[in-house]
Amino acid sequence: MRLDTLYTAETPEGIALSLRPAGLVARGLAYLIDLAIRLGIFFAISIVVGVMGKMGVGILLISYFCLEWLYPVVFELTRAAATPGKRVMGLRVVMDSGLPVTPAAALTRNLLRAADFVPAFYGAGIVSMLWRRDSKRLGDLAAGTLVVFSDPVSLHGDVPAAEPRAPVRPLSAREQLAVVSWAGRATRLTPERFDELARVAEPVLEPDTSGASVSQRLLGVAQWVLGRRAGADARGGGR
Amino acid sequence: MTPLDFEAAYAPLWSELEAVIAVAETRRKFDAARLATLYRRVCEHLALAQARAYPIHLTQRLETLTQSAHRLIYRRHDYGLARLGRLALVDFPEAVRAHRAYLLVAALMFFVPLLAAGWAAYRDPGFILHLLDAKDVQQFDAMYGSRAESLGRTRNASDDWQMFGYYVMHNIGIGFRCFAAGIFAGVGSAVVVVFNGTQIGAVGGYLIAAGHAENFLSFVVTHSAFELTAIVLAGAAGLRLGYSWIAPGRHTRLEALRLAARHAVVIVYGVIGLLLVAAAVEAFWSSARWVAPAVKYGVGGACWLLVLAYLGWQGRPRAAAADAKKAGDAG
Repeated sequence: MRLDTLYTAETPEGIALSLRPAGLVARGLAYLIDLAIRLGIFFAISIVVGVMGKMGVGILLISYFCLEWLYPVVFELTRAAATPGKRVMGLRVVMDSGLPVTPAAALTRNLLRAADFVPAFYGAGIVSMLWRRDSKRLGDLAAGTLVVFSDPVSLHGDVPAAEPRAPVRPLSAREQLAVVSWAGRATRLTPERFDELARVAEPVLEPDTSGASVSQRLLGVAQWVLGRRAGADARGGGR
Repeated sequence: MTPLDFEAAYAPLWSELEAVIAVAETRRKFDAARLATLYRRVCEHLALAQARAYPIHLTQRLETLTQSAHRLIYRRHDYGLARLGRLALVDFPEAVRAHRAYLLVAALMFFVPLLAAGWAAYRDPGFILHLLDAKDVQQFDAMYGSRAESLGRTRNASDDWQMFGYYVMHNIGIGFRCFAAGIFAGVGSAVVVVFNGTQIGAVGGYLIAAGHAENFLSFVVTHSAFELTAIVLAGAAGLRLGYSWIAPGRHTRLEALRLAARHAVVIVYGVIGLLLVAAAVEAFWSSARWVAPAVKYGVGGACWLLVLAYLGWQGRPRAAAADAKKAGDAG
């Protein structure tokens, strides 16, 4: 079973975009931030128009309407495709094809907040978001939109330097990927865990002659897979 | 080719694309042709890198690059007045006519309870107490009564503004909820439409029976042309949403819902416009006390004809073709 919630959308160019749908917590916090901003604006307006009498009340009611219904639509159609709260949480709204959100979709998903709100405080929306792998609420389902994290996370860094070593037998593509991926996580794993994972691959290593640790030798294999060869920094030696 | 060779050979292109993207994201003018060319090249590189199981940090860099470029290339540019004009002149009336079956059902759901409740309240003034509190009824009595201080008779300009704000917030909110509630198999929209029809009918019937017919009818006749049609239209759009996932046809339910929402939201655009007009008319015209009832009936009748003619005939295909031609000539 898949554990991650990665959502792939294919583009006309034939590549797959990986989108990371944002879950309930990130979106809930974004909503609360937006709520605070909207309340702040509302109070600011109410102070300003307080001196204007009944006409001020009219303006206040109109601004309430705009803050309730139009605030998210307008912000989601900007270039950031996110309300200020979403931007703080690093989220953006996209179509589920990976394209920027269209005006019709932005309006649809925000009008359907009314449906997500039932029976109380976004009950339907929360159930729908927890139910689905892509964390869509009812408005997202109808509009065909996704709320995704805008910045990519980088779990893998460069492969640390090591003396290149050939493995004792040819490695399959999957094995090569596994070794290089392991090496890319050098800075994120604890040294003990890093060594422990390296010992799984011990059968492909040459017998130790230099006294280097298993990790160090496997890093050498990773460098070898990447194309580095012993001696000069020779590239293009083929495999 | 090893990953290192690959990176060495193409990294200059990737850096260039990064630079082009940075320019395009911040400034209006940028080299779009170069962006498209580089984007296609990097798409190839990404496909190769994925197929050859190159290291993850490499594919990830390419993924990030292609995603940003994709976002830039496919963003929309056709906002603006021309699009809004086309929406009002062609798309909205067309969408209304395309939904005439839903419209008929929504209209029946609205006007049958309206007439029934109106008739019941007219025959038996006590009937309205089944629907409203005695306090609300007294308020309606006061609003439409003949005394000089009645609301709707002696309002000044700032009152009008207050009421305009109220109508915008309250009525457009109802329109939106009426549409949104449709996602629950259409039941929500039906409830909102029937409820509003019953209430309006009962209040109308009660006031006419109480002898306030002229005050009430001359007050509502003009804005009701926009407001009642808008509620029925919002109901029809909501029913479309609900029906799409009861009977999805040859789509999955989700796909059907998405298609229905895309078509129904055009009606909602029009509903917003109609309700804005209704709010302005209700606040600034319906309540004007210096206008004789006969004039209000005349204007109200004209508005009803105008709205129905607009929904029925505006933007027929021939007119649309002519418009498109004109827009093409102008542009």
